[in-house]
Amino acid sequence: MFAYIVRRMFQSVIVLLVVGLVAFSMFRFVGDPIDNMLGQERTQADIDRLRTELGLDQPFPVQYFKFLKGAVQGDFGVSYRQGRPVSTILIERAPATLELAFVSGFLAITMGIALGVFTAIRRQGVAANVIMTVSLLGVSLPTFLIGILLIYVFSIELGVLPSFGRGETVMIGSWSTGFLTTSGLKALILPAITLGLYQMTLIMRLVRSEMLEVMRADYVRFARARGLSDRVINFRHALKNTLVPVITITGLQLGSIIAFAIITETVFQWPGVGLLFINAIQFVDIPVMAAYLMLISVMFVSINLIVDLLYYAIDPRLRVDARAT
Amino acid sequence: MILRNSAIALAVLAATSAQAAEFKWASTTDPQTMDPHAVNSAPVLGFLNNVYEGLVRRDKDMSVEPALAVSWETIGDGEGWRFKLREGVTFHDGSGFDAQDVLFSYQRASGEAADTRSWFAPISEVTVVDDYTVDFMTTAPNPLFPSSIANWMIMDQGWTEANDAVVPDKETGNYATLNANGTGAFKVTAREPGLRTVLEPFEGWWDQAEHNITSAEFTPIQNPATAVAALLSGDVDMINPVPIQDVARLQQSGDVEVIQGIEARVIMLGFDHQAEVLKYTDDAGKPNPFRDPRVRKAVAQAVNVDAILATIMRGNAEAASQLVSPAMSGYSQANADRPAFDVEAAKALLAEAGHADGFSFGLKCPNDRYLNDEAVCQAVVSMLAQIGITAELDAMPVRNYWPELREDKYDMYLLGWSPGTFDAEHPVRFLVATPNEEKKLGSWNFGGFSNARVDELLPVIQSELDAGNRQAMLDEVAQIIQDEQVYVPMYVQPLVWGTRSTVDLTQRPDNFFLLRWVTVN
Amino acid sequence: MTDTIESPKTPEQSRFAKFWDSDFAWSFRHSPVAIVASAVVVLLVLAAIFAPLIAPHNPFDPATLNLMNGFTPPGTPNAFTQESFLLGTDDQGRDVFSTILYGMRISLFVGASAVLLAMIIGVILGLVAAYFGGWVETLIMRIADVQLTFPAILVAMLIFGIAKGVTPPEYRNEMAIYVLIIAIALSDWVQFARVVRGAALVEKNKEYVQAARLIGRGSIPIMFRHILPNVLSPVLVIATISLALAIIAEATLSFLGVGAPPTQPSLGTLIRIGQGFLFSGEWWILFFPSCTLLALALSVNLLGDWLRDALNPKLR
Repeated sequence: MFAYIVRRMFQSVIVLLVVGLVAFSMFRFVGDPIDNMLGQERTQADIDRLRTELGLDQPFPVQYFKFLKGAVQGDFGVSYRQGRPVSTILIERAPATLELAFVSGFLAITMGIALGVFTAIRRQGVAANVIMTVSLLGVSLPTFLIGILLIYVFSIELGVLPSFGRGETVMIGSWSTGFLTTSGLKALILPAITLGLYQMTLIMRLVRSEMLEVMRADYVRFARARGLSDRVINFRHALKNTLVPVITITGLQLGSIIAFAIITETVFQWPGVGLLFINAIQFVDIPVMAAYLMLISVMFVSINLIVDLLYYAIDPRLRVDARAT
Repeated sequence: MILRNSAIALAVLAATSAQAAEFKWASTTDPQTMDPHAVNSAPVLGFLNNVYEGLVRRDKDMSVEPALAVSWETIGDGEGWRFKLREGVTFHDGSGFDAQDVLFSYQRASGEAADTRSWFAPISEVTVVDDYTVDFMTTAPNPLFPSSIANWMIMDQGWTEANDAVVPDKETGNYATLNANGTGAFKVTAREPGLRTVLEPFEGWWDQAEHNITSAEFTPIQNPATAVAALLSGDVDMINPVPIQDVARLQQSGDVEVIQGIEARVIMLGFDHQAEVLKYTDDAGKPNPFRDPRVRKAVAQAVNVDAILATIMRGNAEAASQLVSPAMSGYSQANADRPAFDVEAAKALLAEAGHADGFSFGLKCPNDRYLNDEAVCQAVVSMLAQIGITAELDAMPVRNYWPELREDKYDMYLLGWSPGTFDAEHPVRFLVATPNEEKKLGSWNFGGFSNARVDELLPVIQSELDAGNRQAMLDEVAQIIQDEQVYVPMYVQPLVWGTRSTVDLTQRPDNFFLLRWVTVN
Repeated sequence: MTDTIESPKTPEQSRFAKFWDSDFAWSFRHSPVAIVASAVVVLLVLAAIFAPLIAPHNPFDPATLNLMNGFTPPGTPNAFTQESFLLGTDDQGRDVFSTILYGMRISLFVGASAVLLAMIIGVILGLVAAYFGGWVETLIMRIADVQLTFPAILVAMLIFGIAKGVTPPEYRNEMAIYVLIIAIALSDWVQFARVVRGAALVEKNKEYVQAARLIGRGSIPIMFRHILPNVLSPVLVIATISLALAIIAEATLSFLGVGAPPTQPSLGTLIRIGQGFLFSGEWWILFFPSCTLLALALSVNLLGDWLRDALNPKLR
């Protein structure tokens, strides 16, 4: 087990290096940061001078190495746009995204599993079929459109929820939280629904389909024959055995919640790292883009690792393989 | 005693509740720095005009009026300008303002690292005469100098030196990037870049306050639909800009008002005047037809500007005949007519130039720079198709756009130009003069147009003191630009702001939003 | 597993009749949802394929457009040109009905090609990883990690950016569609690979695979003949969702400014353009493309739901 974890950690580091390399080599195609940093009356000499100062005239391996050297020490450089250390900006913005991701992830998992179990148990019921169909509406429209429609209905027509931003936040140490104020909680509702809807539908469908399959499995039939109650069968046996694929997908989806936060944050002007990233692209703020991608990579690789380890813990049959690899 | 105190408290409370107002506004772009000399861009200068002040400032109608200088006069026969400074002015941190701060700000704003240094190109020397008198010596007579420095903001020497921000730094930032200490009507009390910036009135301001704001919060909102939603739902009091298509709907809503004006920015089509062959064409190696003024004229006649204004701009813009709008000084009344929309005439011109069968070429266009820029380009494509020339449209974000233009990757392109000096000389210097790195001429003349007469007139225009002679020369240049059809000016971009009905404010043609003219009822 | 019992029908019976009698077809005939959903999908696909015959205008030909037709409401004549359009016109004076038909072609083409590509890559790599294990598995799954590390939309944005950088500008509009396909496929294959691997790992240790190995069958036949059919059910779940998802992803990408070019809009581009007119009263520019996208994606999803149940013998 220990050796397995160490090996996976080592692989993860290589993954991160590759991601950094790929990301970094892509930046040259995103655009030129210079034009956003100089005004209308700039001359070619100004452009050349700034390019030199930013080190953009250096060969690619030199730039990449410089970036890596800093990144290892937690120094991602200074934002071209804001003139502040990128690490400071990320720390400032992370709570907004993490709180949003947490709430929508929580919504997606609890609602997804609950509705999935319900629709599996009442497979032929009218309610279950209605839930199945309605839930599909959420994945049949693009996120940005759902967000805009929610704003239209709840902010403009009904006027009950804020149209953008995080509301009032309270600082706890260096963490700004929106959980402690009414306006902060109200501001969370629409973005969390927008972001969590797709994942909820996916988890629900997955739980349902796995439940259905497991419920037909021999051991569940045996359990039923032994006279165990439906409740025990459904939750103790069936649900537990659906969890392997559900954990895989859910784990992966948690990561993509953070990624999809880019869209939601843009629509709701939610001041998190996703919005920061979109702004960084717009202004070709290479240090911010690089740091964001590295951060996302670290997170995804960790989630990946955890999912694999859980897999390993839940399904004993895999242990032999894990040792072999 | 207790009674008297509470009576005073009540009176204060009554006074503030009748007047006091919190104000929130949103715009697409966050000012990227609080340093007035680091970045010469409209979002930064517009925002900082609330915080910092120059020697002169622009009034509601753009006319130049005294600010930190009370008066100014030419020295001798135009060897320079003498400014008399206002006494008793203090910065937000309480320190006093005098001529040393002006000299310091000149050195800071004209230094190598400053983005504003082109403003001071005509200056040879600045001398402090006494505590409240400063002389600016110019290399040649410069009648427009006072109005050209309306956005040059004065910083406090002591504060800047104490905080180690003597040189503006846009790459890594310094203290002045995040903090501000001006003499203006508002001071910055909170700054979270990209999220919000909070301003509060400066009690010690030298001028009489016209506003009734107690605190003002700015939030950048990139997505136009979100901004409109925020305004409609009352989450913000003012947005800039309002998407053109939402103007009518907002006007119908009782809670919201739309304030419209004509911006200084002229939207035009530009050509490659130098390339031998077309770069993006189906018939490879075809000689570049846009070097022929007849073809450029055909394009001008094929574009139905009125249709663009009626549909895409929804009647919110005005057609343009030259590189500046009629509101700018030096506008040429003699050349106020633009080529008539006439498909047949355009076809005839093409045939005359030997392109009766048409040709295909590449049109470059930004899609996030000007109002509805992509839609306008699409419309241009279909209008040019009517005269038989096929434009291959490549629309891209502005971050990719300028590099492409600099590398000459276009046959035709869209450009918007707003003259920083509000004078007709400005676009001639940047867009028409033969590119010359040393003299800092033609730095945005991507197509490389060159005309000896224009190059000859430009320095004379710049130093001519007589308004009549100057206008005559500007008329001649405008005439040349029209005859040669160097660009195809289409329209002057509109300014469209949205406010809650409870708000009164002033919209200036330079798209600067000044809090000192805001009242909330 | 299901093909072991030959139905005792006469040999002259046609293949179609055989199919008609199968459990699969029976299940289809008795599911109103499946019938309606597939009817909608077929209708939309046909409409897209025959768009040039059905559409009254060709919205991709700029020479036929008249800007003065812009913003004509559905069914009422334009104030300037007196022309009338079934579903109105957009900001460029394009007939919305025609634009939807042509846009759907692009959306369907992008979606279907992307899923197919993702499925091929994902299934093969997933099977190979599970079956061979060892360094092969490690390599593939680490590549998957790298891929996964880049969220779908980011992958697509970056690929799009690179493609824009390296393709000569005159081919950019043509390239955009193919770049989209590759971008979406590359961001999607990992799902297939991971699920196939997960299922195949379990399957691999079952007796029938062990038996096949014992009698000396080669690895490729074992993978594709024995393991693949038994892991297809989760693949189908993902493929159906992916098809709808890919169409939606294309729309999302166009919101971020990396979709199909505006002169040749997909459904997603139309919605991106249309959302600018949500508040302005020209509801039809957003409404009709959105409804079409909703109908298409919803039907595909419903069909997928049904397919999954119908193809799974354990659920009958």
